[in-house]
Amino acid sequence: MTLAEMQAAFQRAIMQGDDDVLSEVLDNSRTSRNVLFGVYRHAYAARLVEVVRNDHPLLHACVGDEAFNELARSYVADRPSQNQNARWFSHRLPDYLTEKHPNEPQLADLAALERALNDAFDAPDRETLTLADLATVSPENWSSLVFAPHPSAQRLSFKSNAHAIWLALKNEEPPPPVETSETPENILVWRHETTPKLRRMSDEEAMMWNEAVNGVPFGDLCELVAVYDDPDGAPLRAAQHLQGWIVSGLLAKHPTED
Amino acid sequence: MLARTKAKALADRTVDREGKPRYLGYGLGLRAQHYADILNGDPDIDWFEVISENYMVPGGQPLRILDQIRARYPIVMHGVSLSIASTAPFDPDYLKQLKALADRAEPVFVSDHLCWTGVHGVNLHDLLPFPYTREALDHVVARIQYVQDFLKRPLALENVSTYVQFRNSEMPEWEFIAEMTKRTGCWLVFDVNNVYVSAFNHEYDPYEFIAGIPADRVVQFHLAGHEHNMTHIIDTHDALVCDEVWTLYKAALNRFGPVSTIIERDDDIPPLNVMLEELGKARDLAEEVFSA
Repeated sequence: MTLAEMQAAFQRAIMQGDDDVLSEVLDNSRTSRNVLFGVYRHAYAARLVEVVRNDHPLLHACVGDEAFNELARSYVADRPSQNQNARWFSHRLPDYLTEKHPNEPQLADLAALERALNDAFDAPDRETLTLADLATVSPENWSSLVFAPHPSAQRLSFKSNAHAIWLALKNEEPPPPVETSETPENILVWRHETTPKLRRMSDEEAMMWNEAVNGVPFGDLCELVAVYDDPDGAPLRAAQHLQGWIVSGLLAKHPTED
Repeated sequence: MLARTKAKALADRTVDREGKPRYLGYGLGLRAQHYADILNGDPDIDWFEVISENYMVPGGQPLRILDQIRARYPIVMHGVSLSIASTAPFDPDYLKQLKALADRAEPVFVSDHLCWTGVHGVNLHDLLPFPYTREALDHVVARIQYVQDFLKRPLALENVSTYVQFRNSEMPEWEFIAEMTKRTGCWLVFDVNNVYVSAFNHEYDPYEFIAGIPADRVVQFHLAGHEHNMTHIIDTHDALVCDEVWTLYKAALNRFGPVSTIIERDDDIPPLNVMLEELGKARDLAEEVFSA
């Protein structure tokens, strides 16, 4: 058996329970090769389940130990790690839960929320836009201003009340009953200084955010906001949304072209 | 703080006259649970070993902490996913990220494990054993040379704890390691606990292992705890260093001389003061050995 054949068989033995490689390894005088090889089999699933548990403490709290272990073990079996860094192992969990638990959207939503918070924590660093930066812009240039999101910012859209469930669990309170809605709930996740943050957004703010991060200039954003609600107050509302983003550190100092 | 600055200045001369990574003293594996105590205090620690992958991230707090630690202490980068013995091709993105981190953090040296972690695009995130054959030796030697050329710095490799031995092994582990260092010039992280664990599991004499390792290649010791299951030992890194490993450490000191040492704890991590007590014990034992 070549080194490559041995490694393929060893990996199959760990992941699929295939015993071919056992004929290539030795017992010790105290125990069998089955027991000794079992250390690798056990450690594989246990280690990756722990990675998922560490990345998703509130999904764990939501479903409890037994259901979480089952869910995490199924994920480990179904989505082997393809990355050299275990930091990214849980990244496909929200998609996995959407596929495997379509009738429990709160599971995928909670996982997506925790993933976004984890990603915000170590997202790229970028200087944030400040109110002082905007103060240097002359009034006639305001309508052509374009904005870039901070690399840590992510907008999520949930069919369930995962945000309320997350908040309750975070405060170690009993979570509310699961609710689903045809109207998605908009959540913004980002990092302010070193701390991941999240908050809800109104439909109007979410619409403006989506357009702003796509490079739509401020003048056009005001017109879009005017379509949503009272047209007379639109510039003021757009300015308030913008100010909130800047104060929270949601926008990067330079537009996306860098 | 003066002592820290001095330690850093000394470590900035990363190699001695023979090109060997310089002696760093007594350190710890850097763990997030201890960040605040380390950065807010001035604990009696000479240097830190950092897990490379924990800082191979785009930005944010992990890299900020690393920069702060690096400003005060010498560091060594210790990876878990290089997979040097794998027959799968290297992941170019992983190597690029590792090099970028090394260029940023300027470690005294970069290390990983003498093992493989997966094939066929899968990473099992474990430190897996392989047979000590001529074929494996040629393969590992070529891979070490490739990585050293890519990183433009020598690599140090650590002996891992293993639970199975292969029927087709052609030489003992220490002979494989000795030949590997001779052919590549790589350095060795000598994990005293792992020698103890593997020797128990495979029923060989750990002192024979120590005697078979080229003394001039060892640049670091690891000390750690394990779980004894009577028929075999599992390397858990979640317990205090046991008496037998301390005894083996003394034998390693006698053979290898003063070597940069850390206590490595990966699970059930105690408060920093408990880690410092264990580190103090390592220091005391070394003083005892070298003053005898």
